[in-house]
Amino acid sequence: MIPSSSKAIFISAAIIVFGFVSVFVLSNFLEQNRVQMPQGFEDADLTLEGKRLKGYALGAEGLLADWYWMKSLQYVGDKIIKVDPSNVNLENLTSLNPRLLYPYLDNATDLDPKFMAAYSYGASILPAIDPAKGIQLIEKGIRNNPGEWRLYHNLGYIHWRLKDYEKAGQIYKQGSEIEGSASFMKLMAASMQNQGESRDTARSMYSQLLNEAQDEQTKDNADFRLKELNALDERDAIRAALKKASEMNGRCPQSWNEVLPVLRTVILPAGNEFRVDNVNNLVDPAGDPYILDRKRCDVALNSKSRFAR
Amino acid sequence: MNSPKSSLWQRLCTIAGNTFREAVRDRILYNLVVFVLLIIACAIILSDLTDGQEARTIVNIGLNAILIFGTFISIFVGVGLVSKEIEKRTIYAIFSKPITRGEFIVGKYLGLCLTLLVNVAVMGIGVSLALLYVGGTGLAATIGGSVLLMFLELAIITGVAILFSSFSSPSLSALLTFFVFIIGHMSSSLRDLAANLGSKPATIFFEIIYYLLPNLAHFSFRTEAANGLAPTFSMLGGAVLYALVYIVILQTLSILVFSRRNFK
Repeated sequence: MIPSSSKAIFISAAIIVFGFVSVFVLSNFLEQNRVQMPQGFEDADLTLEGKRLKGYALGAEGLLADWYWMKSLQYVGDKIIKVDPSNVNLENLTSLNPRLLYPYLDNATDLDPKFMAAYSYGASILPAIDPAKGIQLIEKGIRNNPGEWRLYHNLGYIHWRLKDYEKAGQIYKQGSEIEGSASFMKLMAASMQNQGESRDTARSMYSQLLNEAQDEQTKDNADFRLKELNALDERDAIRAALKKASEMNGRCPQSWNEVLPVLRTVILPAGNEFRVDNVNNLVDPAGDPYILDRKRCDVALNSKSRFAR
Repeated sequence: MNSPKSSLWQRLCTIAGNTFREAVRDRILYNLVVFVLLIIACAIILSDLTDGQEARTIVNIGLNAILIFGTFISIFVGVGLVSKEIEKRTIYAIFSKPITRGEFIVGKYLGLCLTLLVNVAVMGIGVSLALLYVGGTGLAATIGGSVLLMFLELAIITGVAILFSSFSSPSLSALLTFFVFIIGHMSSSLRDLAANLGSKPATIFFEIIYYLLPNLAHFSFRTEAANGLAPTFSMLGGAVLYALVYIVILQTLSILVFSRRNFK
C-alpha cells in the first residue's frame, strides 16, 4: 500500500512534468501563431512631438531625448542590416526610406536642445537622405546653441557636400569667429573659396569629423570616407607607376610584383604607404585586393569593395 | 463556514468570495478611480500633444496602465494572501473547518483572480470609452483581445506570487515575483541574444529559462492593439491553454509546498 503523502507527491510530480511538456509544445505553437505587425510598421509616423512633450515629462526630458536618440541609431542601423551593409551607398540612403530619422532627431533635440551628438549624427547621415532636413536640424541647433562652433562645422559640411562652397565658406567663417573655435575652421573657410572640390579639403573635413564625432556611426562614416580618399590617391599613384613601367618595358606589367618596388618609394598625400596581403596582392585601405587590368594597363577596385569607383 | 458535506466547488467559492470581499474592504478597487482619472486626462490633453494620433496613444497608455496597475495588485496582494492569514492567526480558525490546505490555496487564488478580472474589465471599458470619446471606434472594438491576454498574464503572475509566498517572506516573495515578471517578458529576447553570441552554455541556460519561467511575451499584444490588430483565435486559444497549464503547475507546486509547512 502506497502512503497517501507519497501518492500526493507522485501525482504532483506527474502534473508538473506533464505541465512543462505542454508548456514546451504551447510555447512553440504560440510563437508560430503570433500576429505579424503590418509591413512598414517601423516607418509609421511618430505620434508624439518632442516640443509638445516638454513640460509634461516630469523633468525626464533628457531621458526621453536619449530614448529618441537611441531609436534613431537603431532605426538606421536596422535598415542597413536588412539590406546587407556591403550594398549600401553612403552617398544616397534614400533607397532605405529612413523617413523617421529626422522626426526622431527633431524630437531628441526638442527635448534636449543641447544634445550635440544628435546634431552631429544628423549632419552626417541626413545629407544622404534629405539635405534640406539636415540643414533644418543644424540651423535649429545653432539657434539653440549660438556659441557652439562645432554646429557651424556640421552645417558647413552639409553645404560642402551639396557643392555650395560659397555658402559653406561663409558658415565656416562665422564658426571660426566664435571664441574657442578650432583653427581648422579658419582653414576650411579659406579652402572653401578656391579648393572646395579638392581631396585635401575633403580629407581635412573627414579627419575633423572623425576626431569631433561623439557617436560611432558618424565616426565609422568619416573613417570610411577617409579610406575612400586614400584609395583614390593610391589608384592615381598605381596608374602613374603602371604607365612608367609600360613605357620602360614596352608592355604592361603582368603582376603587382613588377611595380611594387616603385610603389614602395611613392609618398602618398596623407603620408600612407601601400599595403600587400599575405599572398603579395596589393590591397586597398579596406584590405580588398586591387585588380590589375592588363588589357587596359589600369588598376580597378575589387568587386567586393564599397568605395566609389 | 461550510458543513462537512458541502462540495469542493462550494468550499472554493466561499474562500474565493471572502478573498474578493477582503480586497474590496482593503480598497483595492480604489485604483480604478486613479485609472479613470488618468484616462480622462489623457483623452483631454493628448489631442494637443499627439498630432492627431490620440486614439493610438490612448491605447498605448491605457493598456500599459492596465498592466502596471494589475501587476501591482497581483504582486502585492498576492504575496499577502497567505502570510496575512498566518500573521493574524486566522489560518487556525480556517483549518479547524473541513477545508484542506490545497482548497485554501486554490480558493485564495481564485478570489484574487476575480478581483483582477473586475479591475481589468472596468479598466478595459474605461479605455474603450476614452477611445469612443476621441473618435477611435475601430480601436475600441479591437482592444478586447489584448485586455483578455493581459488578464491571463496577471493570472500567471498571481500564481507566481502565491507560490513564492507559500514558503518565503512577503517582501522577498514580492521581489522574486517582480523578477519573474521582468525575465518573463525578456526570456525570448535573451534566448535570441544568447544564440547570436554563439556561446553554448549561455544558449542552453537561456533555453532552459525560456521554457521553465512563464513566457509573458506570449501575452503582450499592446503595440499590435495600438495598430488596430486583434489576436487570432488560434493565438487566443493557445494563450488560454498556455496560461491554464502554467497556472496548474504553479498551483500544484504551491499546494505541495504549503501542505508541508508547519504552523506551530
